[in-house]
Amino acid sequence: MATDKPSQQVHQQAIPEAQGMAVAASGPAVDPDARPRSIGGIGLDLLTIAYFAFALFPIIWILMLSFKSQDQLFTTYFRFDPTLDSYKAVLGLSSTTESVPFMKYFLNSLIASFGAVAVSLLVGVPAAYAFARYQFKGANDMLFTLLSFRFAPELMVIIPVYVIYQKIGLFDRHLGLIWVYQLITLPLIVWILRSYFQDLTPELEQSAMLDGYNRWQALVKVVVPLVKPGIAAAALLAFIFAWNSFIFPFILTGSNAQTVTVGALAFMGGAKPRYNVTAAAALISLIPPLVLALSIQRYLVRGLTFGAVKG
Amino acid sequence: MATLALKGVRKEYGKSVVALKGLDLDIGDGEFFVLLGPSGAGKTTTLKCVAGLEQPTLGHVEIGGLDVSNIEPNARKVAMAFENYALYPQETVYDNIAFPLRSRRYYREPGEAQSIIERVTTTLGINHLLQRLPRELSGGQKQRVALARVLVRPADVLLLDEPLSHLDAKLRAAMRAELKSLGELQSTTSLYVTHDYLEALALGDRIAVLNEGELVQVGTREEIWHRPVNTFVAKAFGQPQINLVEGEVIPGHDGPRFHGANGAVDLPMHGFDVTPGRKVITGMRPRDLVMDAKPGMAHIKGSVWVTEPLGRQQEVTLEAGGQHIAVITPLSSLAIGDTVTISVPVSRILLFDAESGQRIPAKDDAAGAARPIAEMEVSRG
Repeated sequence: MATDKPSQQVHQQAIPEAQGMAVAASGPAVDPDARPRSIGGIGLDLLTIAYFAFALFPIIWILMLSFKSQDQLFTTYFRFDPTLDSYKAVLGLSSTTESVPFMKYFLNSLIASFGAVAVSLLVGVPAAYAFARYQFKGANDMLFTLLSFRFAPELMVIIPVYVIYQKIGLFDRHLGLIWVYQLITLPLIVWILRSYFQDLTPELEQSAMLDGYNRWQALVKVVVPLVKPGIAAAALLAFIFAWNSFIFPFILTGSNAQTVTVGALAFMGGAKPRYNVTAAAALISLIPPLVLALSIQRYLVRGLTFGAVKG
Repeated sequence: MATLALKGVRKEYGKSVVALKGLDLDIGDGEFFVLLGPSGAGKTTTLKCVAGLEQPTLGHVEIGGLDVSNIEPNARKVAMAFENYALYPQETVYDNIAFPLRSRRYYREPGEAQSIIERVTTTLGINHLLQRLPRELSGGQKQRVALARVLVRPADVLLLDEPLSHLDAKLRAAMRAELKSLGELQSTTSLYVTHDYLEALALGDRIAVLNEGELVQVGTREEIWHRPVNTFVAKAFGQPQINLVEGEVIPGHDGPRFHGANGAVDLPMHGFDVTPGRKVITGMRPRDLVMDAKPGMAHIKGSVWVTEPLGRQQEVTLEAGGQHIAVITPLSSLAIGDTVTISVPVSRILLFDAESGQRIPAKDDAAGAARPIAEMEVSRG
């Protein structure tokens, strides 16, 4: 003890001095330190720009295509006479040649995708909660089955589903699409939300249950508000997947319930493929997911970074 | 207001983990009952079984004499403060506390609810925090909010899971005194879980000591302190820990004597019915021991191993025959290596069987259990 004390005092005296040295030394030391970092920063910026150019180029190309006239489609690159004809054709405003009821398809897509996500949330939120909180027989098998919907190719099941739909009258019906979209949306919502629920301590619901609420009320009043970001993120992802689904509406719908993904192809048929109109249709069909993503953006960042990654 | 009873409650998690091995407890109406034990003893599981958050594998819980096995947690009229507070993070402190009063079961008009919350939060000293969110509170404040949420609503049984464990020492002592003065806690049957023996001694009308899912001892603070059933209970209470010295009973000229620590600890055993040759453990509370050789007491000679000042007192650890013995004494100048003699009040010696660890009763057992507890005097001062 006796020998320790003096040495401690020495240390205490030495430390401020050392700090002073560091402060003094940091003046000239900053520049050589900072320069490579800023070069690295610029490099990173350039890389990011390069990536964005690469990623966004197809979209820019489609944007240009959509403003080109049929004549200039294959004869120009960046310089052309912009025209709104393609958009008019998509929106059914022009009375040219064969008209495709694109707005009807658009509406169909909205109904099918929103419907599918709504049903999935209704079923998936309680299911995810149950998977997270209860250990029941077959829980893992059920979870795996749900997941297998995602990794089994849609083409594998499409023929039997087609035959069944024909038999029970769901072919070319909105309800049929909403139903089959559950293969896409439900696994996503259940799996993502399950990890959110697992991240919440069960004592929150337990506390609510002792505070006079039954289990269902505890879920609705305490737990669901806490996983709102997760619900928003999972629902958006599910919506995008449902919206972009091609095979299901392609095989399972005719003229009545057809969606934009299939409908946009209609402009490609005929004597001359109308790439410009298809491009305009594609851009218009980009709007709903984009608007949705922007409107729930504030949940999205939290939602996608917290919880969902863990399994 | 209700009695609470656990009847052979056994709880298994999965196939291999047994949290409770058949617990029997009878807690009187309005009693403040403390469960004490190390972590993993099954204290929280006991509370959750009472609350209905866990179903006992075997046995059942009775509240007010009624088997509540088939009653949902929200219908049991049980309030619980969780160790991790379980505050609703998205709600303000006010809304957290008002939460039970907005349920169908404990509903109060908003005006009435406000006056109740007002009263409880003033008592707990958190009424200036009502508009904050839980994440803006310190640990001690969170604990008070959790406590307030329990106290605003009527309950037959209060379950408090280490409500003071996250407080700093000073606040903990203050809250301990406060808790005791809270009318709700005085009049409502309460089950209080802690691993802090001072809390148990200060608050409990009765104390149950739990270890590895089994009840070790139930009793008043004096019974637990002066008559621990075994070395586990003796070690669970007291800081510094009770001095336990292993040894053997040997014949002496004035009756059997205890011979331990290579002869350094030699104590008369006339207070006990023991026959020579028996392997035993003696227990001596550090606060019962006295410095210097006092007449009428047994003496132990040793050298100072280490000293540690504790405010006006100090803890001196002696080394005697390869055994460490802690003593609490007034501050004095002792150097390491000094040879000292300590005195042992013979009537305060506890004796345990060396094999089973069970206490060997003294001849005056009944009288000894009523003595005040030296430790408590110290903790109050």
